[in-house]
Amino acid sequence: MSQSLRPYLQAVRSSLTAALCLSNFASQTAERHNVPEVEARTSPEVLLTPLTIARNENERVLIEPSINSIRISIKIKQADEIEHILVHKFTRFLTQRAESFFILRRKPIKGYDISFLITNFHTEEMLKHKLVDFIIQFMEEVDKEISEMKLFLNARARFVAESFLTPFD
Amino acid sequence: MLLLDYQNVLIQSVLTERFSGAPPVSIDQTVSDFDGVTFHISTPETKSKIMVSIQIRCFPDLLRYGAEEVLNREYGPYVVSPEPGFDFSIVVDLENLPAEKEARDDLVNKIALLKRNAMAAPFEQAYKEHYHLKQEAAKFTSEEAPQGVREGGEVKAIHYREEEAIYVKASHDRVTVIFSTIFREETDRVFGKVFIQEFVDARRRAIQNAPQVLFRNDPPLELQGVPGVKNTGTGEIGYVTFVLFPRHLTPQRMPDVISHIQTFRDYFHYHIKASKAYIHSRMRRRTADFLQVLRRARPDSEEKERKTASGRTFKVGS
Amino acid sequence: MANQTPAVVMDNGTGFSKLGFAGNDSPSFVFPTAIATKGGAAGGGSGSGRPAVANKPSFLTGGAGPTGHLSGKRGTEDLDFFIGDEAISAASGPGYGLHYPIRHGQIENWDHMERFWSNSIFKYLRVEPEDHYFLLTEPPLNPPENRENTAEIFFESFNCAGLYIAVQAVLALAASWTSSKVTDRSLTGTVIDSGDGVTHVIPVAEGYVIGSSIKSIPIAGRDITYFVQSLLRDRGEPDSSLKTAQEIKEAHCYVCPDIVNEFGKYDRDRSRFMKHVVAQPGGREVTVDVGYERFLAPEIFFNPEIYSSDFLTPLPVVVDGVIQSSPIDVRRGLYKNIVLSGGSTLYKDFGRRLQRDIKQLVDARIRQSEVRSGGAKSGGLEVQVITHKRQRHGPWFGGSLLGQTPEFRSYCHTKAEYQEYGPGIVRRFALLGGPGGS
Repeated sequence: MSQSLRPYLQAVRSSLTAALCLSNFASQTAERHNVPEVEARTSPEVLLTPLTIARNENERVLIEPSINSIRISIKIKQADEIEHILVHKFTRFLTQRAESFFILRRKPIKGYDISFLITNFHTEEMLKHKLVDFIIQFMEEVDKEISEMKLFLNARARFVAESFLTPFD
Repeated sequence: MLLLDYQNVLIQSVLTERFSGAPPVSIDQTVSDFDGVTFHISTPETKSKIMVSIQIRCFPDLLRYGAEEVLNREYGPYVVSPEPGFDFSIVVDLENLPAEKEARDDLVNKIALLKRNAMAAPFEQAYKEHYHLKQEAAKFTSEEAPQGVREGGEVKAIHYREEEAIYVKASHDRVTVIFSTIFREETDRVFGKVFIQEFVDARRRAIQNAPQVLFRNDPPLELQGVPGVKNTGTGEIGYVTFVLFPRHLTPQRMPDVISHIQTFRDYFHYHIKASKAYIHSRMRRRTADFLQVLRRARPDSEEKERKTASGRTFKVGS
Repeated sequence: MANQTPAVVMDNGTGFSKLGFAGNDSPSFVFPTAIATKGGAAGGGSGSGRPAVANKPSFLTGGAGPTGHLSGKRGTEDLDFFIGDEAISAASGPGYGLHYPIRHGQIENWDHMERFWSNSIFKYLRVEPEDHYFLLTEPPLNPPENRENTAEIFFESFNCAGLYIAVQAVLALAASWTSSKVTDRSLTGTVIDSGDGVTHVIPVAEGYVIGSSIKSIPIAGRDITYFVQSLLRDRGEPDSSLKTAQEIKEAHCYVCPDIVNEFGKYDRDRSRFMKHVVAQPGGREVTVDVGYERFLAPEIFFNPEIYSSDFLTPLPVVVDGVIQSSPIDVRRGLYKNIVLSGGSTLYKDFGRRLQRDIKQLVDARIRQSEVRSGGAKSGGLEVQVITHKRQRHGPWFGGSLLGQTPEFRSYCHTKAEYQEYGPGIVRRFALLGGPGGS
């Protein structure tokens, strides 16, 4: 793990743990409704100050806490065109399967690649620290996966090119 | 599968079966091949006479570059006038097959290579021009060679797809083959760029004797003034140039080099798709992995695996 | 360019895949839906679906293969595989493991299926998917997620021009339009689809499968082969291998109207006993007698008790039950159009016997209700079993038939539409060949 990654992840972990303090809260605007306030944005008094943790200009996390829900958006590192495409493909692949991920938001917040929405119902039936673990592990592995895919693509391209040109030899 | 076959597998298997002495049956199959080529295998008159017709969109181009000659050379005795709607037809009479098995197999392979042979004509012509120019050029030093010899032959354009074309140009010391490529999809375009870069680098790194590969987004010098080549300036059309050097241009190697270079575009696209498939499978694995991590967050989701007496396992859900 | 190219029709079944081009009267390729991958059963995640992700991808660890040749070092294992018949022969050698990506009609292993498709398209069909429309099939009750996954592969990996996914049973109905008995091209009917592993009875109303009424029967082609084999064994024939049993089944079996009479006929007329010559490896030829199994084998559909002790309901009773459990307003159409599909329905007189037996059940019920109603007369009910020439590859042929119609393309979802709406778009397809269609 590189020098700047560790404090970055540590900062995300601490902020998330602190932010994941959710309670059941019925909607104040519609009777008998219980909606994630961070999405509904109807009562400003239950929204807390959003927080951005940035490692550099390309990598940052936005945490938007509220009384009964929290939204975490991640911007994944994209150094070049290839990584951009790979990130795009991967995040779309994941959101396509959002159903089984429970906390995955089907659409990322503008300016980010992937968003999670955790509500009090999630924290009630799942272990809070494990959810944080998941987010952290996700952030770690996504970067790894993207760079591995890029390596694969280059290796494959080289192999393919050489295989095509060898018969001319 | 790494390299693509040169021949059409379906034609090959149909004919092999027919030629093996099986009782004649009527056939009526439309078969497709890469680059919008359509074959039609049928038995129009009797069950023992098999007609194979081919339709290529660039057939007028090919005719201009001597396709008729090449096809007549390859399929001489079998050629018939083309079936309506098709460009070229041959008929094989099952009752007049070569007696030996090898000769029959040869015939099958030859017919399965119909597309390859039709497309080979411009390349063969370029080879011939190259031989001719080489002889001419040998008479002069490089400075005083007359205009025609130094510049080389005219550019042969084969518009084998709607938006893409192959250009072949012969010179006294080389034959240049240029593929214009276009990608409609963003992912393919990016992947394609990575692949092309490796094609360009491969010669420098590993295979010194391979043809030189060049890539650029605007029409190369060879194509200047060729009708139909537009410099769009947007860079969405790429030009991949293969420079075949004299060592690839010997008459012995001609057939293989021609077959191989023809498959370039399809090979290229096939591998872009195959890598996407591989990346998909990686993503599937990684997604499964993430789900596993997430599942650990559920306290009551421990699945117990139990075994029956016979050793089969079953799961007890929460 | 996609304007002239024929549509590609692919029917991937549990046992066999049928591939070809629309407009043809038979599939260009029929081979097992099998894929042989390097490195035995471990390659690329088998049945259980989630193998651990290695810390480093295999191509970084380098030189994994003992031979250490090019592909071992470069992480190209995913290109090293065979499909179809080649897979079967490759798997018999060392180094390759055989997988069947489809189980019970549904795709279980997407990694393998994606590569199976890739090879089908590029090696066998030799088409550039960007230039062609694709017609795929799916079993009834396929979860919509599977459709989405399929679309994801076809649009994102292969960039295919357009895609249509049709239910096999509906295509089988369309295939029966070639029969002279079919006068109106309706998509209402009962499909009896009997392949190698399982037999389904599927009611279809106006092109939509009545999911709640589908019944399956655990008796199909393989069971008939086993039954023939057991009869051969009982008699102590010189060759009673599965292959011989299958050959005898395909060459000699037929359906008789009545077993007892048929036994009598055989005893009176010895010429009905056949000889079957088996060429054994090594050039020897063995003659196997073929006797009562000629009509007894397919009889297990009608009298399952002679073969199985678990499943005892005869096929005609199952069909009748399926139709009776369907909505009342379509039952008449379902009885009138019972369509056979699949290799195990090809026995001579299979359709005739089925029609007779179902008719008897129906008539008996009508008579009862006439008696109960005290004098009311029923107009009767038409029962018709359709046998046609394209039964063997019914769904494929139906696909070929519909895929060549000029309006087919307008029913497909195109790549552009997919990109606009996402994979969810394939949850709905306009009904091909249905009312308002052709």
